Amino acid sequence: MLIKRTERQTRRSGLVAAIGNQSGGGFDRRSFLRKSGLVAGGLATIGALPLASVRKAEAAGPNVAGATIRKNICTHCSVGCTVTAEVSNGVWVGQEPSWDSPINRGSHCAKGAATRETVHSDRRLRYPMKLVNGQWTRISWDVAINEIGDKLTEIRAKSGADSVYWLGSAKFTNEGSYLNRKLAAFWGTNNSDHQARICHSTTVAGVANTWGYGAMTNSYTDIRNSKTLFFLGGNPAEAHPVSLQHLLEGKELNRANFIVADPRLTRTAAHATEYVRLRPGTDIPVLWGMLWHIFKNGWEDKQFIEQRVYGMDDIRKEVAKYTPEEVERISSVPGAQLERVAKMFATEKPSCLIWAMGQTQHTVGTANVRASCILLLATGNVGGPGMGANIFRGHTNVQGATDLGLDIVTLPLYYGLVEGAWRHWSRVWEVDYQWFVDRFDKSTAADGKVTTTMNTPGIPSTRWFDATLLPKDQVGQKDNIKAMFVMGHGGNTVTRMPQAQKGIEKLELLVVADPFPTTWAALAPERKNGTYLLPIATSYETNGSRTASNRALQWGEQIVKPIFESKNDNEVMYLLAKKLGFADLMFKNIKVENNLPSPEDLLREINRGGWSTGYCGQSPERLKSHMANQKDFDMLTQKATTGPNKGDYYGLPWPCWGTPEFKHPGTPLLYNTNLSIKEGGGTFRARFGLEREEKLPDGTTRKVSLLGNGYYSKDSEIKDGYPEFTLGVLKKLGWDKDLTEAELAVINKVNPTTPDAVSWSIDLSGGIQRVAITHGCVPYGNGKARANAFGLPDAIPTHREPIYTPRPELVAKYPTLPDAKQFRMPNIGFTVQKAAVEKGIAKSFPLILSSGRLVEYEGGGEETRSNKWLAELQQDMFIEINPADANERGIKDGGWVLVSGAEMDSGKTCRMKALVTERVGKGVTWCPFHFAGWFQGVDQRGNYPKGADPIVLGESVNTLTTYGFDPVTGMQEPKATLCQVRAA
Amino acid sequence: MARMKFLCDADRCIECNACVTACKNENEVPWGINRRRVVTLNDGKPGERSISMACMHCTDAPCAAVCPVNCFYTTADAVVLHSKDLCIGCGYCFYACPFGAPQYPKVGNFGSRGKMDKCTFCAGGPEEDNSKEEYEKYGSNRLAEGKLPLCAEMCSTKSLLAGDSDVIAQIYKERVAKRGYGSGAWGWQTAYRESIAT
Amino acid sequence: MAKFLAQIRFIAGALALAFIVATAAPVSAQQPSSVNPTASVVKEQTLLNELSKLQGRGTIPDVKSYVLEQPAGRAWREYRTVTLQWIGGIAILGILALLTIYYLWRGTMRIESGRSGRKILRFNVFERFVHWLTGVAFVILGITGLNMTFGRSLILPWLGASAFSEWSEWAKFSHNYISFAFTTGVVLMFLMWVARNLPTQADVAWFKSGGGMFGGEEPPAHKFNGGEKLIFWISMLGGGAVAVTGYILLFPFYGTTVSGMELAQVVHSTVALLYVAAMFVHFYMGTIGVEGAFEAMADGTVDVNWAKERHRLWYEEETQPSAAQGQAMRPAE
Repeated sequence: MLIKRTERQTRRSGLVAAIGNQSGGGFDRRSFLRKSGLVAGGLATIGALPLASVRKAEAAGPNVAGATIRKNICTHCSVGCTVTAEVSNGVWVGQEPSWDSPINRGSHCAKGAATRETVHSDRRLRYPMKLVNGQWTRISWDVAINEIGDKLTEIRAKSGADSVYWLGSAKFTNEGSYLNRKLAAFWGTNNSDHQARICHSTTVAGVANTWGYGAMTNSYTDIRNSKTLFFLGGNPAEAHPVSLQHLLEGKELNRANFIVADPRLTRTAAHATEYVRLRPGTDIPVLWGMLWHIFKNGWEDKQFIEQRVYGMDDIRKEVAKYTPEEVERISSVPGAQLERVAKMFATEKPSCLIWAMGQTQHTVGTANVRASCILLLATGNVGGPGMGANIFRGHTNVQGATDLGLDIVTLPLYYGLVEGAWRHWSRVWEVDYQWFVDRFDKSTAADGKVTTTMNTPGIPSTRWFDATLLPKDQVGQKDNIKAMFVMGHGGNTVTRMPQAQKGIEKLELLVVADPFPTTWAALAPERKNGTYLLPIATSYETNGSRTASNRALQWGEQIVKPIFESKNDNEVMYLLAKKLGFADLMFKNIKVENNLPSPEDLLREINRGGWSTGYCGQSPERLKSHMANQKDFDMLTQKATTGPNKGDYYGLPWPCWGTPEFKHPGTPLLYNTNLSIKEGGGTFRARFGLEREEKLPDGTTRKVSLLGNGYYSKDSEIKDGYPEFTLGVLKKLGWDKDLTEAELAVINKVNPTTPDAVSWSIDLSGGIQRVAITHGCVPYGNGKARANAFGLPDAIPTHREPIYTPRPELVAKYPTLPDAKQFRMPNIGFTVQKAAVEKGIAKSFPLILSSGRLVEYEGGGEETRSNKWLAELQQDMFIEINPADANERGIKDGGWVLVSGAEMDSGKTCRMKALVTERVGKGVTWCPFHFAGWFQGVDQRGNYPKGADPIVLGESVNTLTTYGFDPVTGMQEPKATLCQVRAA
Repeated sequence: MARMKFLCDADRCIECNACVTACKNENEVPWGINRRRVVTLNDGKPGERSISMACMHCTDAPCAAVCPVNCFYTTADAVVLHSKDLCIGCGYCFYACPFGAPQYPKVGNFGSRGKMDKCTFCAGGPEEDNSKEEYEKYGSNRLAEGKLPLCAEMCSTKSLLAGDSDVIAQIYKERVAKRGYGSGAWGWQTAYRESIAT
Repeated sequence: MAKFLAQIRFIAGALALAFIVATAAPVSAQQPSSVNPTASVVKEQTLLNELSKLQGRGTIPDVKSYVLEQPAGRAWREYRTVTLQWIGGIAILGILALLTIYYLWRGTMRIESGRSGRKILRFNVFERFVHWLTGVAFVILGITGLNMTFGRSLILPWLGASAFSEWSEWAKFSHNYISFAFTTGVVLMFLMWVARNLPTQADVAWFKSGGGMFGGEEPPAHKFNGGEKLIFWISMLGGGAVAVTGYILLFPFYGTTVSGMELAQVVHSTVALLYVAAMFVHFYMGTIGVEGAFEAMADGTVDVNWAKERHRLWYEEETQPSAAQGQAMRPAE
């Protein structure tokens, strides 16, 4: 309700008063009882009525007075809604609105309001199971861990450490994510990934390569300050419903422009003030089309560009090619509309750009988000309230799991895989660096040089089955992937499922550690042995911190103990480490009780090593205090106005600099120069060097500074750009004197030979950060954002047609990138695209197929489809098709159809229902991606362990999706491919 | 004396179904019984609007008027409730209800369609407040605890309002004045013979 | 018929909405639309002015839940709580009043020539079985049905809510199951008696003279006189109508919508009440109205004089030796 908290309390007490006084005019309960004759003996008679007995409620009983209240975080998207649980005798008996949360203010979506059922669902996996000759057999935890450990060791000996793939989860807590990455490091592989690969890996890469950090710059609540909201590739009404509370209220309060560009007239678009329908996969032409008008009319923010952006002139040259006619030819968006949208975006400020997987899940995903960032930079819309790149992520902790390095290219907190990064974490873990070197696979080249895969990015989760199925010599590691250790990750979320099915069949070991059996357990019935299912506690049964999309951390407490024989992620990883023999090293500084590693100690260890991203100040004590005192935080600013955390921003959004004792309040808006650094301000990060040598047309070269040009954050003692801080830089400035002796001692211990080289990000004392911030400077330096991201495959984003395009005539001008070897794997996108055009695929598969999210389900959907309150609301897989396309094919709304994908074996089809709607344009179809359990017309319900099958099953859209990978991250292409539909 | 009503601000409703599952959660409503639902008009077209609908607790409720056994009663807060002990499952209330609120556990009518079930405004039924019997038959009684229906309390966008008529009408009026548009208090004319002038 | 008009209105409204949508938002899919979705939102009142109900889309399988609002429920409520009460009240009380007045005026119609002492078979065992099957079922259905309409105001106050509810539940249960006996009876009656109930010239004369009920000679009749034929056809058409609508109500929403259910209920209750009222005439005639008539359905025989006076043509058919039916006249004991 649009009323302040105080008003609400007044109203509620008014309600109480009203109810307390029932003697007035109405016909109250008790007089009704008297009149109905039910009081004396009536009930007994009625109770015996045989005809229509009252249906008993299924719960234990009414909400018990005096039930314990426990708070955790909803796991179904990244908004970070607090879930308030009432627990009685160890049972979660009720859910109450979380009025005190400054994020959700009591609200939930369908999923959040149904979380209780997820925990108590009778479809949960109850005990460890093993597939024996095609039969699911119950085993004990001891047997499971022993057998799995032995098999892993055997595979390691035979095929090398890289043959085991550790697929983690965005539903881990931060501590679980960190532990999972640490486990892979101790095992000796970089094949460690999670859902971010398939949702926002391209965002992280593209955005970080533009201005420093790959995360949402502002926050859900800050969008209330926007005057223009531009959605490109996001449908938060279904994917992040509670965020719409802030977006719609912002729209109303500011009478803001609410512009939605999407191939579908989504439920978000229903509330738009302007709707732009574009062809899937043409985001760059649309963005460049807007910039064309902006540059032509001089709407850009010239001062901002001059001071804070590198390479905008290169963009101007590229954008000039995207005339309104050309943009309309590619994307079918008319120039006049784009001009109107561009003008609003550039002149009715602050403007923000909101996106999700509509931009990221493309072969040009990284280039898409780069182009979005460039639009923001050109219009000066970064670094202030109501502005920025508002990247809506998909799970509770996908931000945190990304931050903590569940990724093939980095160690925790973006340290990368270089030797310096390994040495940093070796110091934090207090384990000898050489110990890790010895854990990794090595190969000897012809010249006798020994190389290790320690510094080589791993295989993306989008390609695990290619790494299983391709000939060994095509996989850039010792051997194929032989084992998948999957924790909390669906099996139907990656494209090309027919290949995944073959991959599963070929694996030597498959371990699925999840609250539900998931698609992994059911997809490949030909697999008869060597699969283990481990029942895992849900996030609601786990203590620990979670990082929402706005970079804020929230401490969730265990609501109920793990049900049945479930164990939490951390315990399973500990047991496995113990079996594999490195538990003592891995948990050196972490208290373990009853096999349960302490989440507080884990977070403290993260704090001790998390300098680069400002994960150093969020101690468990501070986070718990924030959670306990939620009511002290203001919703709009997220700042505590009173109480023990006064001055802090809610959840200490990273970067939260220095040690916890330094009491940095967190950074609610990235790159906000209007605030002093110690109050949460920032500048663009000086991450890409100090200067760059540019080639000029006359053949000469010139050096261009990459540091900020005459801009700086509030209270900065350096009134211009500056590089990142090291001890050496401090010395030059004469600020090293401010370091304490203890801090200097630690710095000298980090690098005894050249302590001057010790930077803010590896200084374990936090002293360099403290001193820089005391002088008003941001530790990472003050640099320019890059419009030209030299070093990336498309440094200047340019349009490239999807691999499977309905417009083959555009491929000659806008082909995909050439084949290349990326992430140990060949990416033959160019060959596939060429073959598709030559074969005339677009004729036999004339409909564009895109995919997306339904509000009732999440991700692969096994968890939510097992929740009876949610499953009831979406009982069938469907495909949206335009009435024109449906009529041509004789397809009726609600009727069954057979859908074939461009890469499916001929004769194979997927069976689903048709939803005939104008929501999609002619020539476009759309499917939700949450379904599984039917495969090419075959119902696979029998493949699940008995009683643990989801309530609702259906065809997976990824059975239809096709080849295509982003060159920077290995992102898949589920948003723009081709299909054919016919009535069943 | 409060006059309890629901008001769904269609310009805020995003069909997220939180109200639906919140209702299931709070009242343990079984599969197939939908005390609350969200209906989308103009689905997929410009002008699409979704409205969350349940029993509107009508003034001079039609269900109560047509009930052959007079099992309905109206509380002092103007909440329309019924006694499942008296209900014979005839289905008449469904025919009379303009909002499709009454629900029946069985589809056929042989012997009985089962006791009618509907939204109680989270106010339970005739039994003792928050007793086990009341919970089993009608679900929770939040009103007796001084709380409002969970569907409205958990609404993702604060679209669904529940509470005293004057208060929620005022909230809605202020919203419309501020934002400059409003498609009306859906169902009010039919349920209460009044609408909110904006 | 108001309902029929409502249907027409609904269709017209649907067309109007389609037109509004089509003109407000000409979304050609190929061509990206340039629309302001917020501004093109339809208002409830506009829709209600056009449509008799608001229907949208939902996701649960229960399609009737996609109806957002159907104010027609108000009309049905008016019918049930007011119109039907009046129809029923007037019809039933009116008939009872007329019969009372008639009885006081005319008394029982006697066999003028006195009983002959000889009897003739009028209805065989099967006919009587069918009649009583239908009749008993009819009475139970009538009482339990009337309970649904009048019980709340007539019985509830003195029975109390709890007992009345229990009684009503049993009544409803009986009503649903005994309907099968009744329907069977109606069907059999139709097959048995339809041939003899087709209108003939004799019926015209019979009706012209008021069947002798208001004085004068009763015109000769076949097995069934005009009045009886009227009762027959009321039973067949009324019975058929209540059966069909009853089964619609017994299987809610199978192939129908809430409007259909309302319509079915309106037909069912109106016809049933008129039917009940008409049957009071039959009860009267078969019992105290006409001397010797009840015997026809009791042991199946009637006095020969009764037959001669009331159904002379039938009596003649029966007593002609050449009668095609070959029903020999049997002297009674």
